[in-house]
Parts: sequence; structure tokens; C-alpha cells
Amino acid sequence: MKRRGMISGYLFTILTVFVLVVFAFPLVWMLLASFKTQIQMQSTSNFFFFEPTMKNYVQVFQENNFMKYIYNSAVVALGATAGGLLLGLPAAYSIARYRMHGLALTILIARIVPGITFLLPWFILFNNMNLIDSYTALILSHMLVSLPFIIWVMIPFFESLPNEIEEAALIDGSSKAGVFVRIVLPISGPGIITSSLMSIIFSWNNFLFSLVLAGEKTKTLPIALFNFISYSEVNWGGLMAAATVITLPIIIIALFSQRYVISGLSAGAVKG
Amino acid sequence: MMIQTKKWLVLGVSMTLVAGLLAGCGGKSTPNASEGTETASNANQPHKGKKLTVYLGNLPLGNTLKTMIPEFEKETGMKVEFQSFAEDQLSQKLSIQLTTQASVPDVFMLRPPQEAKLFAKNGWVYPLDELARQDADYDFGDFSESATQANVVDDKLIGIPVLLDQTVVYYRKDLLEKAGIAVPKTLDELEEAIKTLHDPKKEVYGFVARGQRSALVTMVAPFLFSEGADFMQGDKATVNTPEAIKGFGRYANWLKNYGPPGVLNMAFPQAWGIFAQGKAAFFIEFSSSYTNGTDKEKSVVADDIGYAVFPTGAAGSKPVSASTWALSINANAADKDAAWQFIKWATSKKMVGTLQKEGNPGVRDSVWNDPESTSAFPAELVEVTLENSKIGIGHDRPQVISVGEAREIIGDIVVKAMLGEDIQAAADKANKDFQALIDKEKLK
Amino acid sequence: MALKWLDKRLKWVFTLPAVLFVALMMVFPLGYTIRLSFFEWSMSAINPPKWVGLDNYKELLSGERFWHDFGITFYFTFAAVIVQMVLGVLIAVLLNRKGKGKNVAKTIFLMPMVATPIAMGMVWLLIFEPSIGVLNTILKTFGLNPLEWLGSVNQVIPSLIIIDTWQWTPMICLLLLAGLTTLPQDPYESADVDGASAWQKFIYITLPLLRPTILVALMLRMIDALKTFDIIFATTQGGPGSSSETLNIYGYILAFQNFKLGLASSLLVLFFLLVLGMTLGVIWLRKRLEVAS
Repeated sequence: MKRRGMISGYLFTILTVFVLVVFAFPLVWMLLASFKTQIQMQSTSNFFFFEPTMKNYVQVFQENNFMKYIYNSAVVALGATAGGLLLGLPAAYSIARYRMHGLALTILIARIVPGITFLLPWFILFNNMNLIDSYTALILSHMLVSLPFIIWVMIPFFESLPNEIEEAALIDGSSKAGVFVRIVLPISGPGIITSSLMSIIFSWNNFLFSLVLAGEKTKTLPIALFNFISYSEVNWGGLMAAATVITLPIIIIALFSQRYVISGLSAGAVKG
Repeated sequence: MMIQTKKWLVLGVSMTLVAGLLAGCGGKSTPNASEGTETASNANQPHKGKKLTVYLGNLPLGNTLKTMIPEFEKETGMKVEFQSFAEDQLSQKLSIQLTTQASVPDVFMLRPPQEAKLFAKNGWVYPLDELARQDADYDFGDFSESATQANVVDDKLIGIPVLLDQTVVYYRKDLLEKAGIAVPKTLDELEEAIKTLHDPKKEVYGFVARGQRSALVTMVAPFLFSEGADFMQGDKATVNTPEAIKGFGRYANWLKNYGPPGVLNMAFPQAWGIFAQGKAAFFIEFSSSYTNGTDKEKSVVADDIGYAVFPTGAAGSKPVSASTWALSINANAADKDAAWQFIKWATSKKMVGTLQKEGNPGVRDSVWNDPESTSAFPAELVEVTLENSKIGIGHDRPQVISVGEAREIIGDIVVKAMLGEDIQAAADKANKDFQALIDKEKLK
Repeated sequence: MALKWLDKRLKWVFTLPAVLFVALMMVFPLGYTIRLSFFEWSMSAINPPKWVGLDNYKELLSGERFWHDFGITFYFTFAAVIVQMVLGVLIAVLLNRKGKGKNVAKTIFLMPMVATPIAMGMVWLLIFEPSIGVLNTILKTFGLNPLEWLGSVNQVIPSLIIIDTWQWTPMICLLLLAGLTTLPQDPYESADVDGASAWQKFIYITLPLLRPTILVALMLRMIDALKTFDIIFATTQGGPGSSSETLNIYGYILAFQNFKLGLASSLLVLFFLLVLGMTLGVIWLRKRLEVAS
């Protein structure tokens, strides 16, 4: 019995490693490519062993104002996520507790509408309000992507929280809103972090809305990425270096939040 | 503003309120061409203090413009703000802004063979005839005839060409030498050479070129021209004539029989990748991207590339020699003369010379005739370019309003032929669809 | 007092801001698009849109291209979502096991989703490239036949599904992992007492308990898969020929390459109705399952 457990344990570990290798491969490819010249990148022989070059990164940071784009992307992604959480968490809670599924569907429509539908109307709207090339317009547009997502991810999460905790608090004389803020939100850590992370990622990678609503001042990373694709050549090296740079901040956020998800998990288990 | 937007004004106002409430952050600003309030005190700087917004396509010449702009700013006292976009994105962004009659950008790049008619018809561009011809120093007559042609719509000049694109046959000198083959002069000879050098076991393919449906149209064009065919004659679609089918068929067969695997998904970057990695003997592509082959960090065959004029077919050698990019003024730009000052500067003899010295083929004859300005180009390529300018055809795609749609229809003939379908049937269908498109445009 | 007032109306006070925001952001674009779908317009700034009634819809619905793209959209979405759901559930359970390096493993696994789709499209373009790409080199070292991947009419959709699966399976995992944290421990403890195997516990306890999360993940993924744009546009632009052209790609081509905004609008309306219908289907399924259990 015990031996069988150990064998299956090894098997699971091997399986996990295999899955990770497969899924990490394109990113490893990208990372290696960002240190390669175009010849090395398109050659089929020297995949792992090559003379690395820093030229691509020099291009990304010297010839392009990438720090500014990172800042812009961060402002927009965090702004849209904060806004999404502010509106989304109470809504999701209410929908879960009062089973307002029709309302949930109405909000989901924002995600169902194909993105290009919004481009021209939003330009007209925000241009009239003088908001083109402003963070406000970008944040509002990205919020429309993240809000339905946050709400729908949180609904089953709130539904699965045991009612007893809230009821106990209500008997103690707390208000419903107070229970939500003081008791429900803290034990919903893993869900909130997961949905925030996703929301940040969606906003970070959003291209279509940013292309139309951003200008030189608020240009975000995905748009800057196209600096490396020109009419007569693709700067593969610069592109890979830029793509690596774009990915890094989110990975750092993911690493930190993973830790928090785990601690939130154990906290939740104690209370549940 | 557009008429229908007014109906939504009420909603717009309420949106403003909500937007203000929800997000208190974010600066409001739209760049404006007439921001400057300083009055022109200096006669040499009538536009002093004005700000221009310029949208560029991602072209190497954009970088040079950006580094040279302080000179222009000092000279005129204006400020210039550049934004660059890849071609699809530029087109998308421009269409959205111009249709709403936004005054930004003041100046933008467009692709005349692809968009000139549409932009003119949609009232997005300001006619440049007077501005361009008023100034003797500017010497508009210096621009090569075939290049300006695509920028004239209904007798109005709507853009100043900035880049010259010509069909070039790139080939591997070393492979030809080894096999004892002379540089092919006719399409039949080229076919023989491709056949001889095709060696898939060693991963050297006889021929590579674009195989993506829309992308390939500009490359198959000289195959048609050189057989005496064209996409259309007057208002008649002519993509199923025997000559046209011969041209389409040749291109399709070469790619199908002697091309690398997966050629159906190739646009210029992948095709260049194959050639630069030494995996193809012959390659047909525009001249403006030649640095993909000569740059030693991109190409393993940098020293072995030869350049040849497009071989002759039944109707002679008819390569493309067209201006694929131009600078235009927004029809709603606040100050057209200020905008013109930028274009005038960017396309002056001096600037075109500077740009050309860095490997950006321009369209001024005087510059091409100045040996110094061609120093960046391989000598052979300069010869080919000068020859192409004499014999070249000024368009590389059908000259209709809906070029995008027409390219899909026409590219389909080659794709179907490569997939082994009957080319005559494919061409007949395409001709019918293309004719319907032309007829529909005529009605408007 | 204020709190009491709030408690009574909590249901609406909590939901209204979100609904209002969505409505305000969408009413104009939706109305604008629906209206434009009855017009013909090349985005001209001088000629206003021309009323054509239902002609745009007729043109689309009677044309081969719409139905071809409709088929491609479904083929891609169904295959991709099924593969991703199965993989997603299995990998989530795999990653949820206790062990060393779990956090690192999880983070590595989440990275594909983080990488910008456009950039990853370019990466995959080179990986898949039949002559100079690394994938065929790998196949050849294992003595397998190289494939044409994105350059073949038949292999292009499976190739795109590989990209999509690589990128979005992690999202499903992430959602399920969060869901797994809320599962009660009691059923597992009693199952242990009964001597149930790991597989039995997975089938009879984990899956049913996770069902609400799985269905939400399925629905969100399905909506996004139907709308897939970035990776297709970056790798094939809908080619070879039109063998990977989905409705969303067609909509983009109509609007911003052919500048037929009226026709594009009617396509977007039809496409919207389609995605809405599919979503309602999943919600209906969810209700049915809820009643059944």
C-alpha cells in the first residue's frame, strides 16, 4: 500500500515536470531568442548553445521609451482592476446571495460583444469628451473587459462560502454590508487574487482598445511591441526582447500573489 | 462631427458625468495643431509655435526622420510629434480618426496603391497640387512619373511619394556558379534554373516568394504584366485571360513544385527567413527590404546574393516600380500650410538624399542620378533599380477603391492553383467576382 | 440608521453601480452598431451612410463565406475548449497535490497566459515554420515526419488549437485551483474511511463539488475562444486561403481592410447573437445540472 503510494507519487512528479516543460518551452524559446541574433534564431542547429548578444535589450531600452510604456500599462491595468473590483465584488456577492442570475447575464453581455464593435463608437464618444490619449478612457475601456470576468469568477466562489459564518455575525448585530466587508472579503482572498491577476493580465495584453484610445502620452506595451514589426523587416530579436520585458512584471506579480493565495488558503481552511 | 453622433449627445453628456465620477484620474488633452498662440513676428517662421502631429508607418526611414526633426523644428519654430504604427494598425487608426473628422493627425503616411482612391473618395485627404507646384525650389517634376501616378486620384494629387518599391529577383550567386548557370534572362530560363537548383533533400529549394493570399498579389503582378496581362483593362476585369492564367500558373507552379514546405502561409518575413538562411536559390520580393539579405546579423548568405531584373516573358520584362508609401495631409488639419511645411521638408531633395544614403530607396530622379546617394546600396542593385525605373509598371495591384477585397479575390486564384485545383475555373470565378466589384464601384 | 437603510436595499446598492457602468459603456456602441448594420458605409467623412434595409444581412447569410467562417469558428472553438477543459481539470488536480516546489510549478504554468498574445503569435510562427522552425527539427530527431503546420490547409486549425491550448489552459487551471481551495474536507475524510481510491475520490467527490466553477470556466473560455483574434491574425491572417478565417477575423477584414462598415456591423450583430446563444446554452445546461443533483 505504502509502496504503491510512493510509486504513484513519483509518477505524479514526473508528469508534473513533463507538463511544465511542455508549457514552458515556447517561453524558453522566447527568452533564448531574445539573446540571439536573427541568424541564430532562425537556425535549426544551435538551439541551446550560442554566443549571446545583449543588443536586442539595448534596442528595447535605448531606442524605445519602454519604461514609460511599462508605467502606462501598469497605471491602466491596476486602475482597471481596482475599478473592476470596486464595482464587481459587491455585485458578485449580491448576485450570489440573492440568486440574481438574469442580472449576471446582462453584465456578461459586455464580454460577449466582439471587441471591434466598440472601436469607432468609443472613439467618437471619448473624442467628444476630450478624453482621447487619457488614462481615464483607457481604464474605463479595460474595465469593461475585466468587470464581467471578475463578477463571474467571484459568483461561484461566494456561492460556495458557507452561509453559517455570515448568519452568526448577523445575529451578533452586524449589518449586512459590515459582514461583507469584515468577514466575507477577508476569507475570499484566493478568489479575489485569482480574478485580480486575470484582470491585470487581460488589461496588460489588451491591444485593440488601447490602439484606438491611446496616444503618444498613454501608449501601452502591446502597442509598443509593434515598433519591431515594420513594412520591410521584422526585428525578431528586438521583438523577443520586448516580449520578454513585457512578460516579466506580471510574472513577478504572479509569484507574489501565488504565495498569498496559499496563505489565504490555509487561513480559509481554519475558518471553514 | 458626424450627423448621427448628435443624436447620442445626451448620452455622451451622461457618460461624461459617470466617467468623471468613476475615475478622477487622467489628464485631458488632445494634441491640437493650432495650440500655439504666439503671433508670427518672424517672416521666415510664419508657423512659429505651432504643433504638428505626424503618424508614420513603421518604415526604416521613419527613424531617420525622427533623428533629423530638431533641424526642422529649429528652422520653422514648430514642434513635431511622431507616432509610428505597423501598416495594418496605421490604416485602422487612421480610418477611425479620419471618418470622425478629427483634426489629428495633421500629416500621415498612407499606402497609395492600396488606399489612395478610398482615402480620396472618403474625403480624408487634402489635395496637394497647389502646395506642391507653387514652389520652384521644391521641384515637383523631379519625382519619377511612375511613382507619382498612384498618388493622383481624379486629377488631384493627394500624397507625396516617399518610398520606391520595385520587383527584384534575388538569387544565390554561389549556387548558380557551382551549377554553371548564367543569370536567367527569360522566365523560361528562370524556370529551368529553379528546376536544376531545387534540391529538397539538402533543404535548398528552387524558389521562394509570398504564398499568403492577399500578400502574394503584389509579387505575382510582374508575372502577369510580362505575359501582356493586367488585373483589369478600363472597367473590365481581365484575370482569366490566357495571358493572365499563364502568369498566375507559373507563379503557383513554381511555389508548389519548387517552394519550401508551408509556403501557403508565407508573407515577406517568413520568405526572407528562408532565403536568408540559405534555403532557397531564387527569391522574388521588393527591393526596399534588401537589407534583410545583406545584414550579416540576419543573413548567412550576405556575401552571395545577386540581384537581377525581372526576366522577360511573352511581352517583355515588366517589373513593378511603384511608390508604396506617401505623405498626405488630413483634410481636417487645422493649418494645411503648416502641415505642408513638414512634408516639403521631409521630401526635399536634401532629405531624400540623406534618407537614400541610409538605404531607403526614394523617388527623386535627381537623387538616383547622384552616385553619392546610392553608396549604401549594393552596386548591382543600383543598376537593377535604374533599369527598373525605365521599364517598370507603376502599379502592383488592381487600381480600384476596394483594393483589400480585390486582393483577396485575385490572390485566391494562386492559392487554389497551389492546392491543385483547376486554375481556369478558379480564374473564371475570380474574374466574375472582381467584375462585380468593379461594376458596383462604378455605380457610386 | 444609514446602515439599516443600506441593509434593506443591499441587493440593489451592491449591483447597481456595476450594471450602470456596463450599460453606459455599451448602450452607445451597441446601438451605433445595430443601426449601422442597416446601412452601407465606407467610413466616408463626406458621404453619410446609405440606408439599405436588410441587404447586409441578406448578403452575409446568402454568401458562402459567412457559413464557411461560421464552420471554422465552431470547429476551432469546440475542439479547443474541450481539449482545454480536460487538460485544465487534470492539471489543476495535479498541481493541487501537496509537495515541494508547488508555488514555482504553479507560476511557471501560469506564464503562457501572461505573455502578450501578439508576441506569442510571432514566437509560434517561427516555432512552427516548417523549414527553419524548431518543432520540425524536434520531430526529425525523433525520426518522425515533419509537418507543414500553419502552412497546410488541414493542419492549420489543429496548429492554432495547440497555441490556444498552450495559452489558455492555465486560465482554466487558475480558476479551478481557486475553486479547489473552497472545497470542504469532510467528504474526503469519510471517503478515506471507506477506503476509496484517489481516482474514485476525483470522480465522485471533486468533480461534482467543482461543477459550478468548471461551468463558469467553460463559459468564460468558450466566449473568448469564439472571439479568438490575436493569435490567428498574428500567425495566419485567416489563411492559407481562408482555412483559418473565423467570424471575428472576417469582421475585422470587412471593417478595417475592406472598409465596409455597414456589412461589418451586420456581421458583428450576427456574431454577437451567436455567442449570446451559445452562452445561454451553457447557462441552461448549468441550471439543468443543478436541478438534476
